[in-house]
Amino acid sequence: MMVPANARWVIFATLFACLMLSALPLPISWSALRPSWAMLGLFYWVLALPHRVGMLSAALVGAILDLIEGAPAGGQALGLVISTALLQLNYQRVRQFDIWQQSIMMGLLLALTAVIERWVQELLGFPAPGLRYLYPALVSIFFWPLVRELLRGIRRYYEVT
Amino acid sequence: MLVDMAAKVHQLAAAPADGVAGLSQSFRSRESLADENERLTQENLILAGKTQRLAALIADNARYRTLMNAASLVSEELIVTRIIAVSPDPVRHAVWLDKGTRNGVQVGQALLAAEGLMGQVVAVGEGNSRALLITDSSHAVPVQVNRNGVRGIIEGTGQLSKMTLRHLPSTTDIAEGDLLVTSGLAGRFPPGYPVAEVTQVVMAPGQSFAEVEAKPLADLDRGNYALIVATQPAVLDPAALDIAP
Repeated sequence: MMVPANARWVIFATLFACLMLSALPLPISWSALRPSWAMLGLFYWVLALPHRVGMLSAALVGAILDLIEGAPAGGQALGLVISTALLQLNYQRVRQFDIWQQSIMMGLLLALTAVIERWVQELLGFPAPGLRYLYPALVSIFFWPLVRELLRGIRRYYEVT
Repeated sequence: MLVDMAAKVHQLAAAPADGVAGLSQSFRSRESLADENERLTQENLILAGKTQRLAALIADNARYRTLMNAASLVSEELIVTRIIAVSPDPVRHAVWLDKGTRNGVQVGQALLAAEGLMGQVVAVGEGNSRALLITDSSHAVPVQVNRNGVRGIIEGTGQLSKMTLRHLPSTTDIAEGDLLVTSGLAGRFPPGYPVAEVTQVVMAPGQSFAEVEAKPLADLDRGNYALIVATQPAVLDPAALDIAP
């Protein structure tokens, strides 16, 4: 039986906060070390409430990320939709992982998203040599426990369903 | 428009930091303001002095150019703009500016820092625009060596302090420390603005091309303000070049 949605605004508010963190100004030389806040937030909600947050939300978050990066087309939107679909297919398994296994899983999903984004941009003629585009995925691995605990606390406090 | 929307998001994200900076600005001591005022007055005097000479030099230059039958030197109009955001994408070197079509900004106009060329405007909204920096890996600028006029095209590498000059024959006269300035070819960038300094030249025997690395002169990662050169950028029309098919 479907539980009626409760406190849906909390999902929007946390995703919005994550997007703001992603847009926070950082010097160019540091930008590769910024964890992908918005994607981690999205993945948390997909894991916790897969019947509320899915590919449509992923497309939306990805489109906003593309917008604030000034990227030419919806590369991140496409990447996020695909990795969200994978996560939705496996959420029951991923929930059972211990925290570091889960972190590495998130890193892999973020890397997949980044690779798809790079494919799209490369096809459109925006080359970027090197593996620098994968750094945020690596950094994010260490931030997943923090994001998960924080958002879990918020979800339980507001009883988001 | 998308550029304006993105700029709004960035402004919102930067609002807390800007607020703190604004607060500390408004609580500065009278003493430090007086100091700054004095320093700026002196600087202004020095710059004003230099500008006086500049006028004479421009006139000279124009005369020489007429002697040489070259195109007249157009004095460019500059728009002062604030850098409001930096792209969060780790492989893209782009910045958002707080001037748009309303202020006469157009796609293709050059962006300058105090020390040299910074990039070019690639998208404009009504009140904001986005510029690609010269170090972005999809960016290239036609340049020439200031010392002897050797021409080349300098490309960004995606690293902030490294650019490469490609397809220079290995017999080319180019050396470490050479200043590279915009050549004005292709009409996108106005000629004569400093771009980069050559840091390394490797002429490997057996290779047809020299490997030349350069360091951009502008501090791309620093500063809040930049200048947009408000010229009409030329649109290269292949039909107008009269190339036989």
